[in-house]
Amino acid sequence: MATDGEHVVRSYEQELKRLDTLLAEMGGVVENQVALAAEAIMSRDGEAATRAVELDPRADALEREVEHFVIRLLALRQPVADDLRRVVAALKIAGDFERIGDYAANVAKRSIVLDQFNLPLSLSALANMARLVQQNLKLVIDAVQQRDPDMAMQVWRSDQLIDDLYNTIFRELITYMMEDARNITPCTHLLFIAKNMERIGDHATNVAETVYYTAVGRPIEQARPKGDTSAYAVVRPEA
Amino acid sequence: MSVTTNAGTPAPMPGSASGTASESAAMGGDAPPRIAIRNLDFFYGANRALKGVTLDLPDRTVTGMIGPSGCGKSTLLRCLNRMYDLYPGQRATGQVLLEGRDIIGGDIGVDELRSRVGMVFQKPTPFPMSIYDNVAFGVRLHERLSKAELDQRVEWSLTRAALWGEVKDRLATPATGLSGGQQQRLCIARTIAVRPEVILLDEPTSALDPISTLKIEELIDELKVDFTIAIVTHNMQQAARCADQVAFFYLGELIEVGPAGQIFTAPREPRTREYITGRFG
Repeated sequence: MATDGEHVVRSYEQELKRLDTLLAEMGGVVENQVALAAEAIMSRDGEAATRAVELDPRADALEREVEHFVIRLLALRQPVADDLRRVVAALKIAGDFERIGDYAANVAKRSIVLDQFNLPLSLSALANMARLVQQNLKLVIDAVQQRDPDMAMQVWRSDQLIDDLYNTIFRELITYMMEDARNITPCTHLLFIAKNMERIGDHATNVAETVYYTAVGRPIEQARPKGDTSAYAVVRPEA
Repeated sequence: MSVTTNAGTPAPMPGSASGTASESAAMGGDAPPRIAIRNLDFFYGANRALKGVTLDLPDRTVTGMIGPSGCGKSTLLRCLNRMYDLYPGQRATGQVLLEGRDIIGGDIGVDELRSRVGMVFQKPTPFPMSIYDNVAFGVRLHERLSKAELDQRVEWSLTRAALWGEVKDRLATPATGLSGGQQQRLCIARTIAVRPEVILLDEPTSALDPISTLKIEELIDELKVDFTIAIVTHNMQQAARCADQVAFFYLGELIEVGPAGQIFTAPREPRTREYITGRFG
């Protein structure tokens, strides 16, 4: 984005940069959480799961710090125009990052339960989904740092793929549950894991929308592609 | 230029219902502007202080003019009631149309013009006379009113300027005894007493404390129901608070004009952005 010149008041400029630094750190923490949670599922790695959960308080603390800092900036600096959008965006993005961290921690916790079961199915679709979610998250964190609307649009568009994968997994898991009632416990956990991953994708998309608005000064004009269609899905046992 | 249906009729009478005013305000962008500035150039000798400015002052709205010192905003304000006539070696070209009649071209005599386009200055300028006479001064020049009518006009003006309650028991005392904020409201009362259509405010609060400033801002908000207002201010937050539309000037040019909400959240021009965010590119 084109906030070229430095602010006349240098301490104000430094405070805006501090906000960027806080968001960068927070992005790093939740990106790490999501990576650890995915690792915990795919490699049945209990230690990774624990680390993902243990990072959550750090993400929460960073969110509170951003909140506090933004309120202070609004009160003392009364930012306008690009600065105002940047400061309000930081508040919203921190909120989305915090939710992403929560979902990652939840995935990690469920992975520990899953370890107690023999899984009846391949996790390849879920692995694929986790990979796409991590790609989008990484891209959107970069978009935040560079305030790049094109990168944000790329994230915004590719969320559809994650949603499609989620819908596939949803149907697949129901089928397994219908086949054998003993699958219900692990499949339910897997369902929540997939849903959490899908939600992480949604929050990354929220962040992308915020980045776009910050950079361009108006919201993305198109309607968000409707993703999760599982709300309408019916899977019946074959006759 | 089209002429509005109420051309020539005096602006708001004491006690006039505000209903008609809010209706016309609701008409918004469709109504012709009260003042239309067209391709206005202004020279102080060889120095071109305004460069081809084209701007509308919509009826019964507040237009805020912002920009760094020397950008031409005060010069523009002074063109709107030919205050510049007083300056030696000045020259204006282009048009400033008040309901279709060109102020610059001299279609309107200066006396009539200044009764229709009033002005309030940076520092309060009470005359060395009583509070009552300060307000009645301009009215006596322009109209022949009975004592009762004049009393009524003075009370109306002071009430509209949110000063009546504070001075009604000492109307005969010298205006110079009022506080700075009260003096400025008195100047506003004096300006509106002749029932102008347009009020020009040139940094009206720069000499006032924060509470007096807020009182003036509240007053501006109330006055725009009846009057078209242009305010020059160095305080951007003030422009954000008071103005419906904001015009940003730089080196004699109008860089950008738009609704205050747009200018202060998403200005279109880089120079506007750099100025209002406190950066210079």
